[in-house]
Amino acid sequence: MSPGWSLWVMFLVVLNFGITFLLYLWAPRAKIPTLSDDTSGHVWAHGTIREGVRNLPLWWLLLSGAMFVAGAAYLVLYPGFGNHKGILGWSAHGELARAESINNAKLDELVVRFRQYPVEQLADDPAALQMGERLFVDNCAACHGRGGYGNVKLGAPSLIDDDWLYGGSGKDILSSIHDGRSGLMPPWASLGEDNVKNLANYVLSLSGSPHDASRAAAGQPLFTTCAACHGAQGKGNPALGAPNLTDHIWLHGGKFEDVVHTIGGGRQGHMPAWSKRLTDDQIRVLAAYVYHLSRQGDAAAQASR
Amino acid sequence: MAYKHFEIIEKNAALLGILTAIMVSIGGLAEITPLFMEAHAVKAPAGVKPYDPLRLAGKDVYVREGCYLCHSQMIRALRAETQRYGHFSTAQESVYDRPFQWGSKRTGPDLARVGGKYTDDWQRLHLEDPRQVVPQSNMPAYPWLEHNKISAEDIEARMRVLRQLGDPYTDADIASARQALAGKTEMDALIAYLQGLGIQNEPAGKVPVPTGHGGMP
Repeated sequence: MSPGWSLWVMFLVVLNFGITFLLYLWAPRAKIPTLSDDTSGHVWAHGTIREGVRNLPLWWLLLSGAMFVAGAAYLVLYPGFGNHKGILGWSAHGELARAESINNAKLDELVVRFRQYPVEQLADDPAALQMGERLFVDNCAACHGRGGYGNVKLGAPSLIDDDWLYGGSGKDILSSIHDGRSGLMPPWASLGEDNVKNLANYVLSLSGSPHDASRAAAGQPLFTTCAACHGAQGKGNPALGAPNLTDHIWLHGGKFEDVVHTIGGGRQGHMPAWSKRLTDDQIRVLAAYVYHLSRQGDAAAQASR
Repeated sequence: MAYKHFEIIEKNAALLGILTAIMVSIGGLAEITPLFMEAHAVKAPAGVKPYDPLRLAGKDVYVREGCYLCHSQMIRALRAETQRYGHFSTAQESVYDRPFQWGSKRTGPDLARVGGKYTDDWQRLHLEDPRQVVPQSNMPAYPWLEHNKISAEDIEARMRVLRQLGDPYTDADIASARQALAGKTEMDALIAYLQGLGIQNEPAGKVPVPTGHGGMP
């Protein structure tokens, strides 16, 4: 604020304070002409209501006085009187820095402890999991779902099974979160509609899903093209993020139409890099939580097979 | 000052009203006028550029659809907010927002730095129908954005008006609108706008150091 506007604010504060304070000093001493019946002579409703004259109550005087003291003290201690910073030097940004450092001091002990363990071991630490869950819900749940079950429409993988596109070790998970991942499958519609359908049947046969055996046999020779990424056996390739086609876990849906669509139109998957939004310590805690999710899912997944 | 002067005020409703208005307006005069008169002193920091044509179109869709009714774009200087959303917002970051999108109404999360948090695909699915990606969401669906085309002439005209208001658009910027908006839908524009929010705007030197643990809950 420029000095001119600072003076403007000071002037208004003094004006407001001055007018109200003078009224406060004057009101108890005001000489009010009083009639013999102790009223001011003001009447309403044809004299039914008359205005009595009484002294201001003591509690009111004390409360008002206290408010003037509080108001003046505030303007001395805190910013508000023009450019005066307040003798306490308080600022909203200073308050934020203080709140952050108090919070960090509380966390220091935990963070130092967390740094000692590899991600796999951190996944057994309840405090780390508690933090990881908060971070997961705020940052990851939008795509992977609150429970980590993934989203087929988006091609966001489930995190509660033991199937990993880019590897499931602590190091792999850390790297996925820190740098993000981008997967690309080119479209193969150029093979012709019939060939795409044959291929889809063959792909479904790899996992023993319902399929047309004769069309699958016709599609098999075409799979050499797919094998470059998915492997000759269709087991996938974590280096490329190419999914394993021999299990019942489908990134973009496992119905015949889904697979036809995937082969014909190709697929793209993109996970943003989180290194800019989250600190390295946060990413480690998050990786531990994701690692924990996959282990937790093991029992359930096995039971369902 | 004597009692009779007060009697005049007390018995004259119009005078009482005028004097009351004067006293009440003192607070407003002190709080509003200096900031209002010095608004021109707020300059765009490095990294804050006028909206390119597609994002400008998206910003207007954002305003038209009333996104601000549920989403603020103002991260307050409070730990709970900076931890979740990033560095607190500054006035300089909003110099090209007309009208600015600050506020405190948050049925949904703050969007001041949402750019890049999710992918374009996510934003598209989410705008088509939020339940496709967030089952518990109560945000309305905006399926018509996908069908509405953007008119380049309209956006060019808006850019010329903004230039008159002081935004530093060059002739080349305005001429680029036609190509930038060719075949684009309102959905594309809104996604481009959202994905640009807060990008490279964070005040320099105050960004939390990524190696620390400043933001851990």
